[in-house]
Amino acid sequence: MNQAEVSQLVSKLRIRINPRHKNLKCPEGPQGRLNKLRKTVNALFKYERLELNYTLADETRGYAERLISEAIRHGDTHKPTMEMADYWIEEKQLIHKLFKVLVPRFNDYQTSYTMLYRAPKAYPEIVYPRSVLELRGNPFPAILPQRSDQRNFIHNVLLDEAKKAYRAEKYEEITKSLEEQRDE
Amino acid sequence: MKGLLALRRIQHRLYTDFDALCHMILGHAPPPALSFASPAETLKPSTPALTNVQRLFGDSILRAVPKHRRTIEKRLKRKFGCIDDFYKMLMPRTDLLTCNQCGHSYQRRHLCPNCYKRVKDETTEFQEVIEKELGLEPIEQEVVVLYKGERTKQPVEGHWNGKRIIELKREKPSWFCRNLLQRTTIGNSDSKDVQPSELA
Ligand SMILES: [Zn+2]
Repeated sequence: MNQAEVSQLVSKLRIRINPRHKNLKCPEGPQGRLNKLRKTVNALFKYERLELNYTLADETRGYAERLISEAIRHGDTHKPTMEMADYWIEEKQLIHKLFKVLVPRFNDYQTSYTMLYRAPKAYPEIVYPRSVLELRGNPFPAILPQRSDQRNFIHNVLLDEAKKAYRAEKYEEITKSLEEQRDE
Repeated sequence: MKGLLALRRIQHRLYTDFDALCHMILGHAPPPALSFASPAETLKPSTPALTNVQRLFGDSILRAVPKHRRTIEKRLKRKFGCIDDFYKMLMPRTDLLTCNQCGHSYQRRHLCPNCYKRVKDETTEFQEVIEKELGLEPIEQEVVVLYKGERTKQPVEGHWNGKRIIELKREKPSWFCRNLLQRTTIGNSDSKDVQPSELA
């Protein structure tokens, strides 16, 4: 099988995938791990923004992205995709959400479908790192504040122009004074 | 043994304190108590009285004690910790930045705690409202949450078509950017462009 066909088989995700999985503490073994991940994937589709342990959030992110990208690629008439959605989503009303809400929302996206932020730590407590996992395009207020220091904002453009004009004036003054000195 | 010694010390202290108390209240030492002279006791030959501690040592087996001195590395590590792993001394932090929005300090590459708390509170409220509203029916529409009095202010006609609107009973908090849900350009304007003149 050549490279081109492999890329057709598996959807390429737009997030960084670690070469090795992250360990989750789970007394029930591999099945318990899957149950845990299934719970968080389900919760992510339901609530669209979660605060989780960093490792759990990172693992969940991959599964959620994979599920969305499969849904976008194959649609809801593809049997394996539907089975996968049925396995990973425990509340069945969310399967409708996946195909009817999330697929149109993410259809034209050129970026990843989820975002992962590091949540603040309470100093000086030593705690496991927490993180915030969210689906993009959610109805909640934005987590990152809107930036006021963008270059193309009108006040910044005006300030830049003002700076340029001021500098040109200064250069003129300097050249004039130099010429006067030379004449003397 | 330590416990025994401590007990004795407390006992002794109690006696002395009692004497002092009596002296303070009555103005003299406590009245001498009556005692009986027992002939049997006085006739006994006096034996060398072993103290309790000595008896304890005589009866018991000595337990294990450290045989060797701990190395300097071990002692230092216990005292100061390991610099890569768990350092016990106080070190200045160099990864703190000031938030551009609210002025609180936050850890580099993390969210600002103050800003995040505001967003989190708002988000949990949204989530509760949405969950209550949607229930167990299949979800087929995008959800928009609007504050009080926002429904009439849609940026373009039919902006919320095909979306499920959930309205909150309170007004938008002041920190929430007002332009968040509005498009920067609303359709094509009819005005004819006017080139600026007399520039430079
Ligand atoms: Zn802040």
